[in-house]
Amino acid sequence: MIWLNRYTDTVYCIIRVVVGLMFACHGGQKIVGFAPSERGLAINPLGLTAGWIELSCGFLVAFSLIARLAAFIASGEMAVAYFLTSFSGKTLDHPPNVLKRLLPMLNKGELPVVFCFMFFLIVFYGPGRWSIDSLLKGKLRSAATSSSS
Amino acid sequence: MTAIHCGYSSAREFLDTKDRHLHARRMNSLNRFADPFYCITRLIVGLMFASHGGQLVLGMFGGMPGSDNMMMQVGGWIQLVGGLLIAFGLLTRLAAFICSGEMAVAYFMIHVANAPTPMAKFFPISSAGPQVSNKGELAIFYCWFFLFVVFYGAGRWSIDAWVRKGKTAAATPRT
Repeated sequence: MIWLNRYTDTVYCIIRVVVGLMFACHGGQKIVGFAPSERGLAINPLGLTAGWIELSCGFLVAFSLIARLAAFIASGEMAVAYFLTSFSGKTLDHPPNVLKRLLPMLNKGELPVVFCFMFFLIVFYGPGRWSIDSLLKGKLRSAATSSSS
Repeated sequence: MTAIHCGYSSAREFLDTKDRHLHARRMNSLNRFADPFYCITRLIVGLMFASHGGQLVLGMFGGMPGSDNMMMQVGGWIQLVGGLLIAFGLLTRLAAFICSGEMAVAYFMIHVANAPTPMAKFFPISSAGPQVSNKGELAIFYCWFFLFVVFYGAGRWSIDAWVRKGKTAAATPRT
């Protein structure tokens, strides 16, 4: 079924958009109140920082402008989020044991984990063919060839 | 070999040659780690998916209310078996296709169907609260990631790649 690999990059670009926009929604509900949330806007500095990173890096990854850098920052932020909330047991109503710290199934930290890994995959994979990065690159390259010739 | 159809013998080779000019030029050297890291991601996501199945069918992690439902049992077995197959890269594309389909069904039949408000039917964002979100973010993520696995294939660290290597070694006798 190697013929499926012809569409890998196309599917990758669609997934990048979906994951990036979901991530931007998390930031949007902390900063601008959209997507709607019952928890209200973020007020403490930690929440505001997280919100701005999620909003900006989410859109940058979704439309893939400086995608690798944005995805690296987003991935790091999700790692921090996992260790600050899920790993330290803030999602539970009792102090966590070792198993509850380590297994995302038990501490409700699955979403930070999958976001973290997905964004790190984006760091390594790159922007893909449908992206502002590749548009810019094509423009830069044509400018370079026209000026050199 | 099926590789004759498009001329590339593996996902890695395909990405390294055909698409190189389409990627942004800066930081292209990172692309060499894409396939190993993809395999790590596949392992982690597959195992987390399988543990959801284990929760439903085997009662691991304290079990889950409502898991004696027939639909939930079928879904749980798909998650358990499919998740393990994806994690270790055996029949990866087929397993990922089935799991992706199952997650799409789960999103629309459980998360969207049980959402109380029109707003909640549209937004999946998990942390927003039950009135404005259907909490289906993880289902969406699994669905799309497994679709990516269908198209990407198993990657280099997988049982599929190991089996294929053995087959090609057997088919070309050493001289």
